[in-house]
Amino acid sequence: MFGKISPQTAKQHFKSAGYRLALLITGALTAGSVNAADKTLTIYTYDSFAADWGPAPGIEKAFEETCDCDVQFVAADSSIGALRKVQIEGAQTQADIVLGLDTNIAEAARETGLFVEHNADTSNLSLPTGEWTDSTFLPFDYSYFAFVYNKENVEKPPTSFTALAAMPDDFKIVIQDPRSSTPGLGLLLWIQQAYGDEANEVWQQLAPKIVTVTKGWSDAYGLFLKDEADMVLSYTTSPAYHDIAEGDQRFAAAPFEEGHYMQIEVAAIVGSSENKALAEDFMQFMLSDTVQDIIPTTNWVYPATTTAQGLPEGFEKLHVPENSLLLDGIEVEKNRNAWIDQWVETLGQ
Amino acid sequence: MLSKNLFRFSGSLLPGLLIAGGFLLLASVLLYQLAAQPDTLSLSLGPRFLKILFWSTVQAGCSTLLSVLLGIVLAWALSHRRRFRGRRLYVAFLSSALVLPTLVVVLGIVTILGRSGWINDTLRWLGHSGFEPFIFGFSGIVIAHVYFNGSYVARTLLSRLESIPAEQHKLTRSIGLNAWQRFKMIELPSIASTLPSVSITIFLLCFTSFSIVLILGGSPKFNTLEVSIFEAIKLDFNLGRALGLALAQLAICAVLIMLGSRFSKGNQLISVPSGKQAAWHDSKMLVAIQNLILFIFAVLFMLPILAIITDGMAADFISLFTNKNFLTALLTSLIIAALSTVLVILASTLLASAFTTLATQQRLGSSRLSQPLLKLLGFSSTLYLAVPSLVLGLGFFLLARRIGGEQNLWAVAALLTSNALMVLPFAVAALAPAMVKSANRYDKLAFSLGLTKWSRWRLIESHLVRPELAYIASLAFCMSLGDLGVIALFGNQDFITLPWLLYQKMGSYRTDEAAGIALVMLAITLAVFLLLPGLFGNTKHKSHWRQHA
Repeated sequence: MFGKISPQTAKQHFKSAGYRLALLITGALTAGSVNAADKTLTIYTYDSFAADWGPAPGIEKAFEETCDCDVQFVAADSSIGALRKVQIEGAQTQADIVLGLDTNIAEAARETGLFVEHNADTSNLSLPTGEWTDSTFLPFDYSYFAFVYNKENVEKPPTSFTALAAMPDDFKIVIQDPRSSTPGLGLLLWIQQAYGDEANEVWQQLAPKIVTVTKGWSDAYGLFLKDEADMVLSYTTSPAYHDIAEGDQRFAAAPFEEGHYMQIEVAAIVGSSENKALAEDFMQFMLSDTVQDIIPTTNWVYPATTTAQGLPEGFEKLHVPENSLLLDGIEVEKNRNAWIDQWVETLGQ
Repeated sequence: MLSKNLFRFSGSLLPGLLIAGGFLLLASVLLYQLAAQPDTLSLSLGPRFLKILFWSTVQAGCSTLLSVLLGIVLAWALSHRRRFRGRRLYVAFLSSALVLPTLVVVLGIVTILGRSGWINDTLRWLGHSGFEPFIFGFSGIVIAHVYFNGSYVARTLLSRLESIPAEQHKLTRSIGLNAWQRFKMIELPSIASTLPSVSITIFLLCFTSFSIVLILGGSPKFNTLEVSIFEAIKLDFNLGRALGLALAQLAICAVLIMLGSRFSKGNQLISVPSGKQAAWHDSKMLVAIQNLILFIFAVLFMLPILAIITDGMAADFISLFTNKNFLTALLTSLIIAALSTVLVILASTLLASAFTTLATQQRLGSSRLSQPLLKLLGFSSTLYLAVPSLVLGLGFFLLARRIGGEQNLWAVAALLTSNALMVLPFAVAALAPAMVKSANRYDKLAFSLGLTKWSRWRLIESHLVRPELAYIASLAFCMSLGDLGVIALFGNQDFITLPWLLYQKMGSYRTDEAAGIALVMLAITLAVFLLLPGLFGNTKHKSHWRQHA
């Protein structure tokens, strides 16, 4: 077969190879340049926010009705992954907005110098933390971290980290990696704030309980729903999803005596964006009643403002921690790397 | 005389030297990218770094030792059982370990040994409580490494053992040596020269292992430097640390390669064509042991593959083949693999041709220049061992940031380069001996007929080395299709390959989809690797292919 190839067919072979290469190259080129042509707002976020059942489709539809543009949510595998994606892409990034970081990672994000001021009117925010002063990162929802369990599988849920550590050997939890996921980082800070210098000992006691550490929240929650673990690190508001969307009352968040660490999710405009005006419109839109009413029943957390419609029915059943924890963002950033190194070290043993 | 000769053979020599020089230049440019950023470079030789080094060394040491031991046992059994039904297929599957997509096999191994894997399920069914999961961590990494490298060792040593001359067999029988004595006096010496270089190659591959450690590592404790580089970029975006780790790995690999080259003469991956073979006359007991060994290894080797097939069959192929992401990944992977194949064929042909010209007496073998140039060729074709995928990827990544331009084009360039470098050591090792053989046989005739380069290639080499070329093509295509290395750095929503998609599905525990993708990859790989060389190799040269397969 090989020996009989005539020069003509050989030429054709080369031609088709060249054709393929050309196709590939043009394919690669157009993939990058489509956006410039018809005003697209590109938003990097974490996977569950962009999912079909997440807030993204509703927000996208609502904003496109007002903006005469195309909104594109690009899902990274985790929240911090979305930030890293912009950093890795550098000046080439297509992202106009990064959405889904929180106050704990915001300082690290600010230090990259990649983000610019949002210029949004924040007067209607009603966060439990009071007035908002950050002009770069704009909050759009909040909740409290908590371990979620199935009441049928776990009769007596632990009431504190020490109680969790003392559970039987086959009681397993699944958590997220603090290097890639804001819930993972939240748990690290939760234990850090509650236990201070003894935080590392708490982690040592918890280590045998951890069945696996996932990259993002949705991976962990998926494993929990498949019964691969008895509890998953999620939010006090997560049971509302099962209750409201599925009519399933078996799930609950375990109240912890140490209090619960709070998460305020934020968005920011990427400085290299060519659609800054559009991006600013979108940021303001995030605080509108339209979006704030979409958030509770799609992201399953509290909205950042008090809307005319108010919270959906079912949210009143949720446990609201009396004692909420939150470290200052600047202090977090000062210690984040050291705490994470320590965490890696402890779980590596 | 020399200059006349140089001119006469420049056609077969210069392109190969240019390719070799080109690769070295590219490597230097990438290394410069790594080294020329002192402001960001940060390498703390702290306890964490030393721990990575310690565990990588222990891991690679264990993997190498077990791979070599098991490889020797299997090669010994196989070389003694010369005739049994399916032996050709057995050996062919053994060779295919080189090209089986790493992630696919790892998925298969997890299906067998995982927490709710086949073995645990069977144990529970028998009333046992099952064992604690051990697959994520040190043992899992070593098991996966031994799976791939043990098969590779067995395949390499088999051709050594098969080239023991028949006279020696007869001699051992006439003086009545027992099996152990025969092994010690005849068989061990025949593989002894290969062992050091094979061991060092495997040690380097395990020391710089990426995808296996990424999936089976379980915790950062057993990270290799490659995985740490990946994490420094993707998790922390700490380019300084990534740089430091990359340079450290480079230095270590360079030292190991230099140590290795002291033990080995030339490229020991090259297998010598087997001479006349005679059967060993083993006792019934020994034959039974050999058959048992062959059976056990066959089962161990096939189990993960069977697991992939069984799990994959249950996947929803209609939704898979209508999924846009999957189709894009499939198309991208096929195109990249095809382009890599063309690149590898071109580069290895030119390199092997230059090698032949420098290594044969009737050409430039006696020239003073030939030895240093041969070293250059050898080093250039095994560059991948010193510059594995993540270091290479980081170099491209920094280059892309500096120069700018379309990211996905950089991704294609990085992928093609890494694929070509990955396959070249094996490709040149397969092609060079065949080209030398053809040169020794036909040079006189060709010179006297005054054949031009092209017509000579068409009339002689294209026939003689066709089986090797077909083998290299299948090798290049399959290895490129299955590799998860550089793509882990460059993959994004617009640029996905099958291994990258599979990694994401495994990472997010979408096991059904992962099983489907894995089966598709396995089917393509086995079809290309087992069938393609057979289609191209004509009957006259089948023996050639058999030797490689």
